[in-house]
Amino acid sequence: MVNLDASKLSTRELNNQIKEFAANGVETITIANPAARHNIAVGILAECDLQIEGSVGYYVASLLDGPRITIDGNAGWALGENMMSGSISLTKNAGASVAASMRGGEMFIGGNAGARAGISMKGGTLLIGGDSGFLTGFMMQKGRIIVCGDVGDAAGDSMYEGTIYVGGEIGSLGADAKIEESTEDELIEIWNMLEARGISERPHFRKIVSQKNLYHYDGRERHERPLI
Amino acid sequence: MCGIAGIMYKNSGSTKSAPIGDELVKMLETMVHRGHDSAGVTVAGEANDSDLLIRIWVDNSAPVSDTVARTEETIRRAGGAINSSELSGSFLRIKANYEGEIPPLAEALLNEPGVVLHSIGEVSEVIKDVGTPMVMDERHEISRLTGTHGVGHVRMATESVVDISHAHPFWAYPFTDVTVVHNGQLTNYHGMKRSYEDRGYHFQTGNDSELIAVYLAEKLENGISLNDALEESLDDLDGTFTYLVSTKDGMGYAKDRWSAKPLVAMETDDVVALASEEVALRSVFTEELDRTEPQERRVMTWST
Repeated sequence: MVNLDASKLSTRELNNQIKEFAANGVETITIANPAARHNIAVGILAECDLQIEGSVGYYVASLLDGPRITIDGNAGWALGENMMSGSISLTKNAGASVAASMRGGEMFIGGNAGARAGISMKGGTLLIGGDSGFLTGFMMQKGRIIVCGDVGDAAGDSMYEGTIYVGGEIGSLGADAKIEESTEDELIEIWNMLEARGISERPHFRKIVSQKNLYHYDGRERHERPLI
Repeated sequence: MCGIAGIMYKNSGSTKSAPIGDELVKMLETMVHRGHDSAGVTVAGEANDSDLLIRIWVDNSAPVSDTVARTEETIRRAGGAINSSELSGSFLRIKANYEGEIPPLAEALLNEPGVVLHSIGEVSEVIKDVGTPMVMDERHEISRLTGTHGVGHVRMATESVVDISHAHPFWAYPFTDVTVVHNGQLTNYHGMKRSYEDRGYHFQTGNDSELIAVYLAEKLENGISLNDALEESLDDLDGTFTYLVSTKDGMGYAKDRWSAKPLVAMETDDVVALASEEVALRSVFTEELDRTEPQERRVMTWST
């Protein structure tokens, strides 16, 4: 167990120390006084438990492969961008573009997420305990987003594959998205995940998936298309 | 990019001397990575024993002492009485008693060679300069300014030139006490600007953010509430924007339909602070507070 004080280190020093301790087999690293700073714990590629004791800024815990990270506070934009594996758990609210281009692992947001949550997501699971903003799952390609509360407008806009489960209200659907009913197996799996996170509610999740009409563009000019 | 910040002491009653300058500088310093080109603040609400607080940048098109003398003479000729006139470098701060209309006074001042008007306010003033907020604070001692509220900006220029006049905040010429800081780009700027010019407005810069200030000030002048003016701007302005506005006794934000530019807020019973990034809010709030992130098409206002 190692305790680091972010207020005494530059971001580069902090990240280098995390990498060094993780590579040398330290299992648990705590980071005090993050003070909403950006780029903390970026590019950590070894397994370890990383506990950040406070709010963080932009791009925190991005380019991650392996660690289990807990953050007690809020996060700015693009938390966990391009995460490959491991887990991130945030107690409060996340800014825009949380889990952008995420490819694997699990991310849990205890509060609300901002706009474009799971933008261009390519795998893994993003679980949001509260609401999620505008353009949730924009151009998503794989994986699943689970929103216990409401989602904003243009949900699932231009998504290719993957699934957005919504427990609350859906502001509006984005282009080429449609709503389907979840199967019993899916609901049970999600409810079990919620229970493991200490969430006792059992929302009836609907799911948003791609209509796949945008897979094929009609290459003809307007005057070439059939009238009927 | 660009970074914006705002702070207001609500219910501030008669005290009116909160450390607004110091807190704005602190917030801007933590966001200096969002823009090194220029920085600026509006500080509002300090009890002012004069009718008007005039901030002028004296450019080098005429000898500075001549410009200062002509400026003072212009104010006197318009019927004003100068209570104090301080020159710091090439920045002039004048307190004057004046009971006439603002547009003719503003126009007379602008017609003087060397005069670049940064603001005319009853209770507020704009201080802006090229460089970082740290440099600006050293030159202008902004940390010493007190009041009830204010807004600030660090700029990374995208659409218009880098110079002192294109730094934010933008004052809504020729109205008093309406200033704006903006992060974003307006795509219908040129068309809207022409329609205002057709109606007789003169813009002082080629910066789209100046348009927002004039747009809001005209609505306020016509009796529309600050909140409604901000709401209407969501449809009238096109492009990406999160902007903050400071008025005589109010402050507010508007965020575009794309939710493209960041903003976070922290609020207690007495204080509300807004900034592009939470790291800026942490520089003024030491206690652990919930922060909110406004979403698309949102406006909110506060008053002192």
